[in-house]
Amino acid sequence: MIEEKGYALQIEGLNVWIRGKHIIKNVGLKVPKRRILAVMGPSGSGKSTLLRAINRLIDLIPESKVEGKVLVYGTDVYSEDPYRVRRLMGMVFQTPNPFPNMSIYENVAIGPKLNRLVRSKDELNELVRWALEKAMLWDEVKGRLDDLPHRLSGGQQQRLCLARALALKPKLLLLDEPTGNVDPVNAVKIEEALRSLLRDLEITIVLVTHTPHQAVRISDYIAFIYMGELVEFGLTDTIALNPRHELTVKFLRGEV
Amino acid sequence: MDVREVKERVFLVLVVILSIAAVLPVFHVFLSVIWNGFGVIMEAGPNFLLDVPPAPNAGLGGIAPSLAGTLLLAVLSSLLGIPLSLFAAIFAVEFPDNPLAKMVRVLSKALLEIPSVVVGMLVYAILVVPMGRFSMLAGSLALAIMMIPYVTTYVEQALEGVPFTYREAGFALGLSRPKVVFEIMVGIARRGILTGMLIGFAKVLGETAPLLFTLGRDRYNIPLGPLDYGDSISLLIFDYAQTPYANMHQVAWGAALVLTVMFLIIFLISRKFTEEVFL
Repeated sequence: MIEEKGYALQIEGLNVWIRGKHIIKNVGLKVPKRRILAVMGPSGSGKSTLLRAINRLIDLIPESKVEGKVLVYGTDVYSEDPYRVRRLMGMVFQTPNPFPNMSIYENVAIGPKLNRLVRSKDELNELVRWALEKAMLWDEVKGRLDDLPHRLSGGQQQRLCLARALALKPKLLLLDEPTGNVDPVNAVKIEEALRSLLRDLEITIVLVTHTPHQAVRISDYIAFIYMGELVEFGLTDTIALNPRHELTVKFLRGEV
Repeated sequence: MDVREVKERVFLVLVVILSIAAVLPVFHVFLSVIWNGFGVIMEAGPNFLLDVPPAPNAGLGGIAPSLAGTLLLAVLSSLLGIPLSLFAAIFAVEFPDNPLAKMVRVLSKALLEIPSVVVGMLVYAILVVPMGRFSMLAGSLALAIMMIPYVTTYVEQALEGVPFTYREAGFALGLSRPKVVFEIMVGIARRGILTGMLIGFAKVLGETAPLLFTLGRDRYNIPLGPLDYGDSISLLIFDYAQTPYANMHQVAWGAALVLTVMFLIIFLISRKFTEEVFL
């Protein structure tokens, strides 16, 4: 596959097997830079696996096999060192998972610190503040950065995880149903944070969701996955107004 | 009252009686140690911890060299055993499919039940005989061998208890495997790991058999180096309980109380650690 300029994410002929089971079937799509792609589909359709194939967390799963190509900002994910590749990307998981033994500050600082991205304490402080601001959490935690994260609400914890991912200044941000376990108010805050990221930064977002409303509300592109197959992919407006596939229509209506 | 109810009553009574029967010896041990040891320590005063043992029928003296020996042995054997256990456990958890790691797992479980006197014999053969002398080092090695399977098993369990999502989060940050293990997994599991270490430490405090042919039982001098002869409280109790002298029996009871208190302190600390785990 030849890298095409202007695309943040190119996937071609992607197949994933886990323990012999074919989870992702021949998926291909292209997302331009500074856009939000929503990957939607019912539970168990392979959305999370697709996400983990992009940043190679799939390598952690025993007996998994990947075929096909993934390019992230021109970097061929499967021919590079996985650790270096993952640093291009940030990830937020379905259940908030801030490291429970580290303070709020340390949770954000650990990525840049251990990857040696900062030279001084001041620079690190600056970065932590920046990431927390971008995740719209700074105002709520600035007075208690040394607290452990279990003192925060679930939604705040999720925004802390967003800040942890942002602290590495990723080009591609992967979110696995980030609002699935979060109350509606916090869900709105997270969506707002994502939109403002796109405004201010050179970043592209891939968001996995099982609710069509969220996909339509927030994204520029939609990929609808069903049973591991890419049923439909295109601009959000097109898919929301003119879905071509019967399954997509049903999913948008909440019938699948 | 029908038959079913009668059966239930009988069952309940049986369970209660058997439970009491199971716990009673523990209380009996504690009570008799406190009953017999307390008077001795009160009579001997602080010198019990500072003095050397008495001659037959010549007062109470103290157990200072044995007490120092026990503490030094526990520290030395921890220095030998804990790092090894830590790495063995990390290896077993991180590379579950590696044949060597599988062997570590099986062996560490098997060694939990190894007869401790055999360990003493082994160290006698591989260290005491070639060196031509008993030593604190030989004693510590024997205790380290006793400790390793315990600590390994505990650390393994602590690391396995860390939810997968934290491991994923670590790798997603682009961290290398050693960094994920040492900065994240070990950090999250640290209380469980510390508990395992304390239990290993407590385990070797009370061991006697591994020291029989390794330590040399010098209970009149505090050991100053790893090649010195040494003694432990457990060996002192073992020897003095077998003498025909009443004053030495008393010293053995006092020593038993000191050892029990050391256990209790470690037990309470480890309880504190396990209570405070939150994820």
